[in-house]
Amino acid sequence: MVDFLVNKDRKISDVPIIIRALLVIALLGQLLWHSQQEPVVAKADDLPSPMSTRTYVISSLGEPIAMSKILNLWLQAFDNQPGVSISFHQLDYSRVIQWLDTSLALDPDGRYPMLVAARVYGSINDKEKQRQMMDYIFFKFKEDPGKHWRWLAHAVITAKHELKDMKLALKYANALAEQGKDVDIPYWARDMKIIVLEDMGELEAAKILVGALIESGDISDPYELNFLSKKIDDLQEKSSESRQNVENSTQTD
Amino acid sequence: MGSQIITIAKFTIIEALRNRLVLLLLLVVMISFAMVEFIGDLAITEHRETQMAILAAFLRLCSVVVVTMFVVSSTVRELQDKTLEMILAMPIHRGQYYLGKLMGFISVSFLVSLIFGMMLLVYAPTESVAIWTISLFLELVLVVAMGLVMLFTFNQIPPALAGVFIIYAASRITTSIYLMAKYPIISHTTIAQKFMDSFIEMLTWLLPDLHRFTQTEWLTHHVTDWSLLVPVVGQTVIFLGLLSTIALFDFYRKNF
Repeated sequence: MVDFLVNKDRKISDVPIIIRALLVIALLGQLLWHSQQEPVVAKADDLPSPMSTRTYVISSLGEPIAMSKILNLWLQAFDNQPGVSISFHQLDYSRVIQWLDTSLALDPDGRYPMLVAARVYGSINDKEKQRQMMDYIFFKFKEDPGKHWRWLAHAVITAKHELKDMKLALKYANALAEQGKDVDIPYWARDMKIIVLEDMGELEAAKILVGALIESGDISDPYELNFLSKKIDDLQEKSSESRQNVENSTQTD
Repeated sequence: MGSQIITIAKFTIIEALRNRLVLLLLLVVMISFAMVEFIGDLAITEHRETQMAILAAFLRLCSVVVVTMFVVSSTVRELQDKTLEMILAMPIHRGQYYLGKLMGFISVSFLVSLIFGMMLLVYAPTESVAIWTISLFLELVLVVAMGLVMLFTFNQIPPALAGVFIIYAASRITTSIYLMAKYPIISHTTIAQKFMDSFIEMLTWLLPDLHRFTQTEWLTHHVTDWSLLVPVVGQTVIFLGLLSTIALFDFYRKNF
């Protein structure tokens, strides 16, 4: 078993001197060759466009899922190129979206592309790029609401708190509330529309929505019903407070 | 008759063990373990799925390369060392020799799939791994038969290896190529295009459906449907029969 570890070779002195000399010359030649080459400079490459999905299927010998996982990791590490580190701001987001789409096409059940869209590429300090990523999530949600609703819920939060664009947040929350009727989207996600409306000061609209939700009979869980009833009370209270404030300010005037 | 086949198979297995095949397999297992653990550290989400998918694809490819190299190099050595001529000088039919070698290599393939399957158990559920491992074994059975056919045809290592790898790769991607040809983005009606389309369609008829075998999806989606193995077993039996007939046809015509 350990035969291959035992040295059975002849002595070095048995090698003809010409061969030994040639070995040294060849090694020196290689070193000399390398010293004459231009030094390698680290250079950041632009994100290329992905190839077609079928090309990836073929090049992976029919292993789309493994290929999708490899592409995910490659894209995720693209900001760390040999010797250079580029920020996500420098990435061309329309290309990033193409890559995410390719990865999803290779593995439709994979959650990775949507997660990085929401939490990695969608969390940078660049509003324009964040919008691009949130729009991509919205687009994917419309394609398959049942699969991508959780990422749209994240987009509502991003639009509301990071982009400070309540209209955009309402657009996404609206989509969640509407699609929730046909697809199995949990109540807390559909409820986001109420929260956004409330934050926008649309208290009456929020109240009507909560009432409609209770009356629809879709919600049977007593805890949820209790929560909704409390929500109506809160909204009622806020509504009367704001009405009182308006009245007081009118009297003062 | 049976005892002669078993003897040849036994010596093929002994040769595999003496060639340190098990050591090589363990080396592959260690490398893949290190690679997959590193990959696991990189993944933000779907940590296990990423590890499983990449490991399964890597092990599948490694097993095919290892088995093909062993089948081709071992049989070529027998041809070149004149061991084959010595065996055939005894009262043994060429068919018996072929079956003995086939059985020996199939046993080696079983060992390879078993070791790699056990490695996958670290990352994937048992039942899915069992289905995947059986499918890998059947895939390797076809690879062994392809190796023997290529050897009896070419008698040399480089063309035999190239032949096996080309047919294997073509068998795995031919369905995708066929779909691309059938539903092109821009349709062509030239004679050359029609000829290529027909040629690709012919390939799908002649090559085994390897895209149905050993799917990574079974592991990542925790598939436990044993009926998936039915078409795999059917294709293996039919194509093994075809390859064995081709190999025997060539072997019986050979002059030593």
